[in-house]
Amino acid sequence: MGNMMYAYVTNPDTVPDYNAPPTFDPLQGFPNGRKERVINVTREELDKANIDLNRRDYCVDLYYNFMKCRRIDGIFAESCQHIKHDHDKCEFDDYVLRMKEFEREKRMKERAKRLMQKSQAEALTD
Amino acid sequence: MAASLKQYRKLLQLLRPFISHRNLSTSPVVSAYWNKDWKAAALPKTPKERAEAAKKYGLRVEDYETYEDDGSGYGDYPKLPIVSGDARDANVDWDIPEMKRNFNEPLHIDADMYGEDRCNPDLKLRYSYTTMLLYLGTFMATVIGVYWWSVKYPRFLPVMPKQYPFNDLYLEKGGSPANEKTIKHYTFEPAD
Repeated sequence: MGNMMYAYVTNPDTVPDYNAPPTFDPLQGFPNGRKERVINVTREELDKANIDLNRRDYCVDLYYNFMKCRRIDGIFAESCQHIKHDHDKCEFDDYVLRMKEFEREKRMKERAKRLMQKSQAEALTD
Repeated sequence: MAASLKQYRKLLQLLRPFISHRNLSTSPVVSAYWNKDWKAAALPKTPKERAEAAKKYGLRVEDYETYEDDGSGYGDYPKLPIVSGDARDANVDWDIPEMKRNFNEPLHIDADMYGEDRCNPDLKLRYSYTTMLLYLGTFMATVIGVYWWSVKYPRFLPVMPKQYPFNDLYLEKGGSPANEKTIKHYTFEPAD
């Protein structure tokens, strides 16, 4: 509800577009750069394993491992549950990262607005 | 004659309906046996015939009125005022309280339509149809109005769109390899 208040009542000009990727430079504020997101499987491996398109996110390597484990150890094998848990945790962390990206975009927009207001005030005083 | 009292009681029990109860066979209206006997007779023409027909249906001659003989009329069956079961007083000591009906009471030709569980043409509405329509219209307009107003303000969770590897699955979604752009996604950890 607070999110709706922010988006439509208090700050409709600085709310990020939740349907589009972030608009600011992703490396801004990181002097040494950020770690890139990587997966440990190739496209060919995924195609060979016939992994669904909606599973091919940044946790697809864990999903691939899980499927492989199921193929070898049996479909409901207890030994695969740790890998499944890893995959679930990865999806959770992915969601948290999306939340962080939203918050970053929001703060960057607010900062840009602040800087613009400051420059305008200086232009008036000159 | 030790059992005489018991026998007398049994006899009384047997005779009781004939002594104290009226039943179907004593009724002048329903002294019928077969389907043809239930059929109404031809429309009465002379005053004498009218008087006889009125007596047959248990009505006074002044109250007796027939349906028009327009080819699909009801013969000498009386045209009675519609008093539905709902409109009848529940506190009257009816002979048949379940149907709010008296014994030998002539039935309306469409009596099956005016039972307590059927329609009541004399119904008094609490609100007029105009008021009802107005209330319904106000309510529906409010609901639809709130909906149309709220379409502009969708609810969303504070998250950015999901990120996908392989340049947001560019080739997998059918993009041409010549135009593929590199899209990099980052974690929030510093590089070193």
